Amino acid sequence: MKSRSHIIFASVFLIAFATGSMVHAAPVRKKLAIEAGRIITIAGKDIKNGVILVEDGAIKAVGADVEIPWDAFVIEAKDQVVMPGFVIAHTSSGLDQANENMPEVPFISTFDSIDPVSTFFEDSLRDGVVAMLILPGNNTLLGGTGNIVKPYGRTVEAMLVKRYKGLKISLQPSRNTSRMGHMQRFRRYMSDLKDYLEEYERRKADAEEEKKPFDEEIDVTKQSMVDLLNKKLTAFIYCDRAADVPKAIEIQKTHGLKTVLVLGTDCYKAARLIAKSKLPVVLDPQLIVWETNEQTNEEEMKVIPAIFHKAGVKFAFQTDTSQYGRRYLWYQAATAVKHGMKRDEALKSITLYPAQFIGVDNRLGSIEAGKEATMLFLTGDPLDAGSWVDRTMIAGEIVYERAKDDRLKKLLEPPIEMQEPKDTD
Amino acid sequence: MRIYVILLTFLLLVSAFVAPGRAEVTAVKAGRILTISGEPITDGVILIENGKIMEIGEGIEIPEDAILIDAGKSVAMPGFVDASAVQPVRGDLNEQSSEITPTLRISDALDPQSKALKRIVQTGVTTLFVSPGRQNIIGGMGVVVKPTGKIPQQMIVKDEAALRIVMDMDPTQGNRTPRGQAPENFYFRRPGTRMALIWMLRKSFFDAQQQADSKQTEDPNLAILSAALKDEIPIHVNARRAIVIRAALKVADEYGLKLIFQECTEGYKVVEQLAERKIPVVLGPFYYYPQSMGQSREGRKVNWNNAGILAEAGVKVALASGEQSGAIDILTAATFAVRHGMNRDDALKAITIIPAEILGVADRVGSLEKGKDADIVVLSGDPLNVTTRVEKVILNGKTVYQ
Repeated sequence: MKSRSHIIFASVFLIAFATGSMVHAAPVRKKLAIEAGRIITIAGKDIKNGVILVEDGAIKAVGADVEIPWDAFVIEAKDQVVMPGFVIAHTSSGLDQANENMPEVPFISTFDSIDPVSTFFEDSLRDGVVAMLILPGNNTLLGGTGNIVKPYGRTVEAMLVKRYKGLKISLQPSRNTSRMGHMQRFRRYMSDLKDYLEEYERRKADAEEEKKPFDEEIDVTKQSMVDLLNKKLTAFIYCDRAADVPKAIEIQKTHGLKTVLVLGTDCYKAARLIAKSKLPVVLDPQLIVWETNEQTNEEEMKVIPAIFHKAGVKFAFQTDTSQYGRRYLWYQAATAVKHGMKRDEALKSITLYPAQFIGVDNRLGSIEAGKEATMLFLTGDPLDAGSWVDRTMIAGEIVYERAKDDRLKKLLEPPIEMQEPKDTD
Repeated sequence: MRIYVILLTFLLLVSAFVAPGRAEVTAVKAGRILTISGEPITDGVILIENGKIMEIGEGIEIPEDAILIDAGKSVAMPGFVDASAVQPVRGDLNEQSSEITPTLRISDALDPQSKALKRIVQTGVTTLFVSPGRQNIIGGMGVVVKPTGKIPQQMIVKDEAALRIVMDMDPTQGNRTPRGQAPENFYFRRPGTRMALIWMLRKSFFDAQQQADSKQTEDPNLAILSAALKDEIPIHVNARRAIVIRAALKVADEYGLKLIFQECTEGYKVVEQLAERKIPVVLGPFYYYPQSMGQSREGRKVNWNNAGILAEAGVKVALASGEQSGAIDILTAATFAVRHGMNRDDALKAITIIPAEILGVADRVGSLEKGKDADIVVLSGDPLNVTTRVEKVILNGKTVYQ
């Protein structure tokens, strides 16, 4: 009798749980047709009054004259602009702690530090971000590996797009070390690593010669650096000042690394050098810097994206959550356009380019057949401050709706409990 | 004979005024002119003489000898008035010798060579309010300046424009409490709590009232406070949180003070009180983030549409770039205010005519009207678009940036 009630109890629980989880993730409809007022495909020209066909979470067809199958569920967005979701190629936000105290920790992963309930992810989703590479901060020489997540999901596992992507190398000296000491530390690590690998290969060769089984694995603390050398991981090299840029390029060349440069504001002075190296770049969130001309004593405004754009460098923007304006990728792109960058390029710098830099451009970054059905429904032009993300679709599933965004409502209209009574005296 | 002499003198006098002849005339042509005071003008012309607007409108004939500034299809509008901006001064802004220093004038510390001035003019600001720092309860008198001129006197539009009072906790910050030793360091005397801060403020006005009544010893500090009591000098009060705004209103009620609120981040919470008392507010800097608010817990409740809510309730709202350098510029502040729900016209007024009114310089700046200063900003497109750039800034009829 007792055990039976247990079973009933458990089954009730199970059913409740199952239905509960159903509510959270609405079933992905197999066939979708999105009727959009304008589609900014990024891959090609904008399409007016176009249709996007989605099947099993992937884009099947895009165009102005795509026929809508009879069995497709139609999503109406005739007065909206549909574009690919924004991608952040480098961020250290959303982490519990961004920097490890030890200088050489290539073996740690941001996976263990990502905080799914951080408001950063909530804000990111609201602001149209669909994927971001979260790397360790800039204070650690070999900071550890990164992970690509979407700002949606309650656990890190659920948020994960791709695990183990990118390794952070920071050329900014940390704590009390000098730049000389910092570089020396890096060289020493690399030479030790090479020694270790030579030893390892020798042992392997010896074992083969003696026809013994060789099952020794590479030291786990060195594995990520070995993967870096084998180009399985991309190096995200942070340059604080322009003087760090040649060092980063040298590192890239000496070790033949797949590299993305993450730049501080000062690095615009090395724009031509970077252009020559043809390395992709993630710009500092601060896009405009002021400098005093030593000769004329005039204040000069340096628009960093304009300088890199002119030099022919391919770059992506990143955000800064502590500053109003800079926290939006679209605002970063609009600032660049304001100062002369081409609109198409600016839009690519927040979608396709960052997707390429972090290696997810096969899925994200543009709206074209074969890619994942991940897109934004905007109320207007993406570079217009009056536009809002109305809905966000990730892999065919609507994961954000402005109409249901209670926190945004609270931010814009104060709820009654926030108001103070008229007279308390 | 005598009448001839008089006539001659009169003629001479008249010629002395007329003799320099017509001064140089500058004509600004623009595709669209937002006058702020009236309807927008399409394909208009602004004629400028002696740094003042002589004529403005459609189809105005441009004199042949006029210097023509053709802005093409661009938008011209009055130069922005920033009622809370980065201070173009040299040296520290906070006097440490006393926490009540009404006699201090920030105009004594103005630096025409300041980098801040050169930067701010490029954002389209042509008039700004400069006030003493935030570490004193009554910091002193602010000044309205233009970002031009080689000596401070040339910059000043209106000196002793307002008295600055800070009611946020800033004057208490950094004050050390004596630990077992005698308070010989003068940092010890500053207030440590909000209670002390408000008490000191109250006492200052009380003393000023007493002095005004007794008509005896004349303390210049109190003289300025009594002028403020008589509404001869406007009072700008820095108050971010609702509790501080309420405290300020209470003190104001006690002494019959007319206030202007600066920052007023939680103004939306006391919107009815502000509207009822017709208290103007200067909102800025435009950041809404807890870490910048100083008081993180209250910060999270901050509302993005503060400006819109206040303006809709009938409060005079000015938007400003704020004293911290590196914050977003005044035009972007207006753009985001509109994004968050402020009315477009309100937002444009909030960076031009309303701050001019608040600062008491609306007779000279804040709109494009005949007789006003020729402070014009030329924009590449709609002012409330993020991609619009400041193309040209004309200050007192002269191009200072392009």
